[in-house]
Amino acid sequence: MERKIGVYVCECGPNIAEKIDIDKVIEEISSNNDVAVVEKYKLLCSSDGKKFLEEEIKKQGLTHLVIAACSPKEHEKTFMEVSENAGLNPYLFQLANIREQCAWITEDKDEATKKAIRLIRAAIGRVRYHSSLEKKEIESNPDVLVIGGGIAGIEASLQLASPERKVYLVEKTPELGGLVTNFEKNFLSMKSLSEIINSKIEEINTNENIKVFTSSEVEETVGFFGNFEIKVKQANSEEDPIQFNVGSIVVAIGSTLFDPKKIPEYGCGKLDNVITSLEFEKMNKSGKISLKNGKPPKSVAIIHCVGRDEKGYCSEICCMYSIKFARYLTDKIPSVKVSNLYSDLCIPGKTNQKFYEQTIGKNVNFIRSSDAEIIKSKDQLSIKYNDENGSKSNLIVDMVVLAPAVEPAVDASKIAEIIGISQGDEGFFEEEHEKINPISTSTEGIYIIGCAQSPKNISETLIQSEAAAGKILSSLIPGRKIEPEVKTSQISEALCIGCKTCLYVCSYGAITFDESKKISVVNEVICRGCGNCVAACPSGAASIKHFKFKQLYQEIREAVK
Amino acid sequence: MTKVLIMNKNTEQGVLEFLKFLLENKKVKGVFSLKKIDKKGAVAYSLITNPKDLEDAVPFYPLMPVNAGNLLSRFTLNGPPKEPIAAVVKPCELRGFIELIKREQGSLENLLIISSTCGGVYPTKLEIDGTVEKNLSKYWDAVKKGQILNDIRPACKSCEEFTPYVTDITVDILGKNDLDKQCIMFLNTKKGEEIVKSIKADFSDNKIDGSKLDNIREKRGIEKKKLFEEIEKKMNGIDGLIQIFGKCISCHGCSKVCPICYCILCEFESSDSEYGPSNYETELRKRPGLRVPPGTLYYHLGRLTHMGISCVACGACDDVCPVDIPVSMIFKKVGESVQKMFDYIPGKNIEEEIPLITYKKDEFTEFEG
Amino acid sequence: MSKFKGAVITAKSGTEKTIIDMLEKTIDKGVFDAIIIPMRVPAGDSFAYVLIKDKSLLNDASVLPPTMFVQGAKAVSSVTRLGKGKTKIAAVMRPCEVRATIELAKLGQVDLENMTIISMDCPGVLPSSDFLKDPEKNIKLFNEAAKKLDDTIMRPVCQICNKSSMVSGDIHIGTLGAKKDAFFFISNSEKGEKVANKLGINLKDNIDSWQTKVKTISEEKHEKRKKAHKELKTKVGGIDNLVETFSHCINCHNCMRVCPVCICRLCYFDSDKVKHPADDYLERTESKGSMRFLPDTTLFQMGRMMHMSISCVSCGACEDACSMSIPVAQIFSMIADETQALFDYVSGRRLDESIPIVAYKEEELHEVEDAND
Repeated sequence: MERKIGVYVCECGPNIAEKIDIDKVIEEISSNNDVAVVEKYKLLCSSDGKKFLEEEIKKQGLTHLVIAACSPKEHEKTFMEVSENAGLNPYLFQLANIREQCAWITEDKDEATKKAIRLIRAAIGRVRYHSSLEKKEIESNPDVLVIGGGIAGIEASLQLASPERKVYLVEKTPELGGLVTNFEKNFLSMKSLSEIINSKIEEINTNENIKVFTSSEVEETVGFFGNFEIKVKQANSEEDPIQFNVGSIVVAIGSTLFDPKKIPEYGCGKLDNVITSLEFEKMNKSGKISLKNGKPPKSVAIIHCVGRDEKGYCSEICCMYSIKFARYLTDKIPSVKVSNLYSDLCIPGKTNQKFYEQTIGKNVNFIRSSDAEIIKSKDQLSIKYNDENGSKSNLIVDMVVLAPAVEPAVDASKIAEIIGISQGDEGFFEEEHEKINPISTSTEGIYIIGCAQSPKNISETLIQSEAAAGKILSSLIPGRKIEPEVKTSQISEALCIGCKTCLYVCSYGAITFDESKKISVVNEVICRGCGNCVAACPSGAASIKHFKFKQLYQEIREAVK
Repeated sequence: MTKVLIMNKNTEQGVLEFLKFLLENKKVKGVFSLKKIDKKGAVAYSLITNPKDLEDAVPFYPLMPVNAGNLLSRFTLNGPPKEPIAAVVKPCELRGFIELIKREQGSLENLLIISSTCGGVYPTKLEIDGTVEKNLSKYWDAVKKGQILNDIRPACKSCEEFTPYVTDITVDILGKNDLDKQCIMFLNTKKGEEIVKSIKADFSDNKIDGSKLDNIREKRGIEKKKLFEEIEKKMNGIDGLIQIFGKCISCHGCSKVCPICYCILCEFESSDSEYGPSNYETELRKRPGLRVPPGTLYYHLGRLTHMGISCVACGACDDVCPVDIPVSMIFKKVGESVQKMFDYIPGKNIEEEIPLITYKKDEFTEFEG
Repeated sequence: MSKFKGAVITAKSGTEKTIIDMLEKTIDKGVFDAIIIPMRVPAGDSFAYVLIKDKSLLNDASVLPPTMFVQGAKAVSSVTRLGKGKTKIAAVMRPCEVRATIELAKLGQVDLENMTIISMDCPGVLPSSDFLKDPEKNIKLFNEAAKKLDDTIMRPVCQICNKSSMVSGDIHIGTLGAKKDAFFFISNSEKGEKVANKLGINLKDNIDSWQTKVKTISEEKHEKRKKAHKELKTKVGGIDNLVETFSHCINCHNCMRVCPVCICRLCYFDSDKVKHPADDYLERTESKGSMRFLPDTTLFQMGRMMHMSISCVSCGACEDACSMSIPVAQIFSMIADETQALFDYVSGRRLDESIPIVAYKEEELHEVEDAND
């Protein structure tokens, strides 16, 4: 069939018309012999403009369409719809950007005109080799995978689960609850946490829309927003991994503590009665705070900021819980003397300061200090430190509680690789934007909440759980259809030699290997059309629809002729 | 009788002047010809658009680094040029091109085809060590006399199709005694006649000297008989073929340079021709050993089957073979016997369909039941 | 002390005969079901790899033939590319062929599971065009030269090869540094040890004399190589010299097709990506006045180099196959050294070493990153 290319130049109000000699452009472009028509129009994206285009396509019997106007980001979709409505496959169309890439940046009208001609010629050169492409539609899966059964994951699961939306909650340890189950009370309100957490766990276990996998780990995730394929392996089970599909993933794997043994000056692991904050919480929850010899301590030092210099960030929660610890101690051992050694005091928020002020007093002393070193002093512990003024000081106590920095969970790297999200410099998962998109990741549909994203307290964690739920509830609507990428990669069966180079470079897990044919195969639903495989394949067996070599080659040739 | 253009000068000079005329007067956009492409004098086909560059053109150089049929096919594969191009090629290259056109692998549109009666070419190995350049005067001497040189390609020594078909212009060369003084170009088509209008030259009506050429053809026929006898002795059934192709390293260079082999991915390089473990295990049950990679001889027999009907016996396959297997003689011999069965001369007549796709009811009844 | 385990084998009837006897024994004992090893072709003018099942054929096998007609890795790949099958196979090849085999295994073209690779100290190999001039005579010449460690008649790349005793396979036959009428049976893997075991060979001997001799020779060759590369660079370096070096190239692509690591079914440079409309070619020509047709001869060479030099084993098959006598192997081998050195990589040295192209390391090549980072 003969090619009939229609070229339409948009004046874009004064934007293009004033900067480019459109008549000259039309004159030059008309000389191509498969260009059936070249015309200009005031504003192609207006409803009149769109109607005009639709009529033109039908009237002229166009086989291909080139529009010279603004950026594809602005109106490529618009004109693709116009094509479709006119009965022309929307991919037999090319938009030449003569506004942002020409009129808006070229002062000299002559130069701008010349450049516009080149850009349009390039678009024509390319569109000649375009093929019709068909859109696909698949149903998006509204279900959600929540990784991590701590307070963050539990809250997100409860917010999300409904008869139309299943939640799969995967927890590595045998029990739900996470770190919070070790705390007797939460700071500020000093209310019992067990009741809260236990009732939430009860809710989870009785919710028939939440499937819980304990002692389990996520082994594989492949896919994209609306269509993830998940594999979960149960520990100590010979059976094959459990497979299911979800539309979205919430990563809530929590955190761990910096190991104070890395700083020998604190004597952790060597000296008796030097314990970490987590050990202290557990001790407190068990009912009795005591030294190794079983007696209650008469004096306790709580050292803040353990490992802060090494990690390079403030863990946000330690000062507050250290104040809480002082409360635990003074509540349970009335005559105890508590000393908090801190380098900086982090007590932001509307109520934290009051909590602090109500805690310090006769028996609770906050001391600004640095370079603490703990050594044995008979059956007590002697803490050498520099005070505010830099003078050397000394404190003798029975027990030392260390508040170590909060670190990413031990599995963070493994999970990052399995899910395909990135970690920041500190090892916590990287959010899309720390200020305006703090729980999204660069992969659509995957959210990071709780301490997995950054150290934080319970209320902030719950906020993020609800935020993730909100995002998912509004974007992953049951019954909604999603259109996977049209411009996907294809690997020629005849030409593929099975070297797997493309497989190694695919970031989306969209390429699998057919062992019987010894060739690589692209999953077109999962492929995002990034082109890594095409670049990697030495023979050119892999190619991307709509970005074929000939299309690009001719576009470039025409542009540089 | 054909219209003839005559220039009273050295034939090659005359042709070069003619080509210059075409370029300068914009009768053609470009010229396709053999050319010395660098200071060292390496010869390769070139596209020439600047008339000045014609200085280094050597259109009748006795060398065929690549069969021009391949090149013209590549040139016109994605459509003919918008403006005319003049191409100077040898008869077998032209015949190869015509066979490719029959298979949709090129087009004659906007091509002005110039060829000549051909004295043969040297093997490419002799270009590398400078022999060709040294022997040029000896070569032209022999060509003038219509003699067969000893060290040209065997395919050329035995070539009886040295007169080109399907040309717009044929340059009289072979057996022409006064090559140095006169240039005669036969204008075979209207296109040829039209394009030479206004050139400074004499015109007349003439006929190519048939008896001179018949004489030469006879000599070539005798060479052919001799060479065929030699190769027949070696081609003694499968065993003979195994002897000949024993040293073949399956580089498939013969296929790559052959003008007729046009497949994008050769059957014998595709997954269709691969052996899997079960194939090997089956073979080893039947015999004590198996040469690997397998299919060395199979490839040649396959290629013969696929392209023998169109083999123009140019001899490019000989030159490219790294282990000196006399491929061209084998393929010429088998090719000709197949072509004879259909009275088919590959590349002679562009209207004549390839016998493979032509069904004639009253054919080969002697092989039917 | 070496990482290999070895045994001294007495070879009263000659090294080759003794090896053949060993191979026969392995078939007898069911250690191997078949052996891939060169045999002389019926016409006597070349050698070919044969997958031998019947041990009687081994009598006509040649462990170290004077020509490398087909690169051994190609032969092995043709047998196991589509899977390993049930047959236990041993392949007897030169070190560079072994290395190419290992590279191919990384590229999914060879399945090594049921394959045992046997190599030997290599004296080099004759250029096939020389060999073909007089096969009988040249077999003798080769054998003599091999005995004397005289490499002047070997392929140019063999003359500067410093990996002629590199062990990447399972078993290696060490002839260097061995006493008269003896050689070393060297094992590099569990597979090798199993074979030795089955043959009743005790791998407890001292192979220091082999190591030392190998080290000496490879150091000598390394110096020779550096010198040769320096000279070659001045000859072919720079775009003008490069174009001139390839001026006779007719794009027959023989080099690519005999290369063991050029595995693409359809080379990029044979695909439609390099087939352009006539007017495109004419436009290019106009900008220069005249243009060789088909153009981009040097582009093919550079492109091939870019694609495969990370895996090049410097075997020289390409140069042998070149119909226009261009020193392809010498050039490619020189560049391959430098490409591989960038990643501290030696192609085919170890199976567990990924080919650098597919192995992403964040801490690498910072010196060529953006200076402003």
